[in-house]
Amino acid sequence: MSTAVSPAEVTQARAARRGEVIVEFKEVWKTYSGRDILAGVNLQIRRGEVLCVLGPSGTGKSVTLRHINGLTRPDAGDVIVFGESIVALSEEELSPVRRRLAMLFQGGALFDSMNVEDNIAFPVREHTEKTPAEVSRIVAETLNMVGLPGIQRKMPSELSGGMRKRVALARSISLEPEVILYDEPTTGLDPVSSEKIAQLIVDVNHRLQTTSVVVTHDIVTARTVSTRVAFLHQGRFQFIGTFDEATSSSSPLLRDYFRAMGFPCGTGVFQAVPKGD
Amino acid sequence: MAQPEPSATAIFYRNLGWLRFVDRFGRKGSQTVEYLGGLFQMIGETIAASVSRPFYSGELVNEMDELGVKSLAITGLTAFVTGAVLAIQTAYSLEAFGGKQFIGRIVSLSLVRELGPILTALMVAGRVGSGITAELGSMTVTEQVDALRSMAISPIRRLVVPRVLAVVFMMPVLTAIADVLGIIGGLGIAVTSIGMTVQDYITSIWQQLAISDIFSGLGKTVFFGFEIAAIGCYNGLQVEGGAAAVGRSTTRTVVLASISILVSDFFLTKLFLAF
Repeated sequence: MSTAVSPAEVTQARAARRGEVIVEFKEVWKTYSGRDILAGVNLQIRRGEVLCVLGPSGTGKSVTLRHINGLTRPDAGDVIVFGESIVALSEEELSPVRRRLAMLFQGGALFDSMNVEDNIAFPVREHTEKTPAEVSRIVAETLNMVGLPGIQRKMPSELSGGMRKRVALARSISLEPEVILYDEPTTGLDPVSSEKIAQLIVDVNHRLQTTSVVVTHDIVTARTVSTRVAFLHQGRFQFIGTFDEATSSSSPLLRDYFRAMGFPCGTGVFQAVPKGD
Repeated sequence: MAQPEPSATAIFYRNLGWLRFVDRFGRKGSQTVEYLGGLFQMIGETIAASVSRPFYSGELVNEMDELGVKSLAITGLTAFVTGAVLAIQTAYSLEAFGGKQFIGRIVSLSLVRELGPILTALMVAGRVGSGITAELGSMTVTEQVDALRSMAISPIRRLVVPRVLAVVFMMPVLTAIADVLGIIGGLGIAVTSIGMTVQDYITSIWQQLAISDIFSGLGKTVFFGFEIAAIGCYNGLQVEGGAAAVGRSTTRTVVLASISILVSDFFLTKLFLAF
């Protein structure tokens, strides 16, 4: 990214290209220990949307996510990111693609040998030539954005689970990526922290004009953040559409899933709870 | 009367133990090949990454301190005590032949050519090899290594290269210090218990030790250091599962690094003797 382009111009340019397909799965297969986790997955992710990947545990939601930045490679099929097939790229060749993506890991994956400031500054120092003062400003801004100002000197071990995830989110957005991949962002958090994270996902998506892919089994979060949901079952996406379409679907699979998650379809539960946005 | 032909099932069961052995042997063999293949691939990538940019010199200095300087106490103590014990044992064996004046020569030659390098390497394998596997293993299971990859930063460049180079650079230094401390340990015993003078002890060492002895001893440790760090890093990056898997990998590193040191010592000794 050229230094002559201001962040506002970048977000404007991104906003102008909303809706174009930036990630595409074509018949992706992945087998672990003789079991087909992904069995011919097809999916298109459009610029600017928040796509929530839902589905029962162990169905390959996280595996799907890890295919987008090449952490996992498919056994067959193709994954196209920013118009380029990434399945045959070496780690070195993947670097330019990975710099445009960021991933929020389930446990935060903060580097426990570094304090909060160094964690957030890490990708900035690695990939840009910014001065220490600029780096400090970016760290302070991103920490403000996630609602944790002034904790630069704390070590990850001193933070709660929710704070750790918010610092990890701050690290993810420090380079203003085009796509953010969230792996179970609210798992293990109390409802208040979950709500904060969900709100942050919406805010970040809006303010930085990013595209988000959120793997979750938290229906409330999916409802708050999603523009579309994709339901993964038996290695394939059985449903892709808006959250409201999912809850009003007549598919027995979806009805059983939402019932099992404590949100029975067609009972008015979703309509009764005001949406977080 | 002729015995009836045994059925195919009977033959199968008769050979079951043997078949199981072949099966287990085959599996173990293929696992070993897979392990060595992965290890050598990582070694190749490490060598390629250590001669190209970007290079993390700050990390290298940190690791030289962490893995090298902080190992000095344990390797120094080991050599010092070994030198002293060697002097006692040599005096005991040579007393009958009146060869006490050779203690300095024997202690110094044994230490510089063999015991200094091998004991230092084994102590470093225990302290540093296990530490590297535990640290990288914990980073792997908590997805910190994946986080690096997702940020387009190579774990080989960032984590493996500084550790391998740090151990390779520090092993000869640690060994040289260990050699000196071992000789001092021997001197202490020679002077206090055997009745030699400091002058005699040092003179006998000067008369015996050649540059080639020192070169052969220190040269081997570069290879030992590489083996320890490469095995430590690879086992750390290969951990799958949780804390128990990290523990198993750590043990594996100490065992494999120790075996690798002892076996390669044999060949390296032969190699250095040829020059």
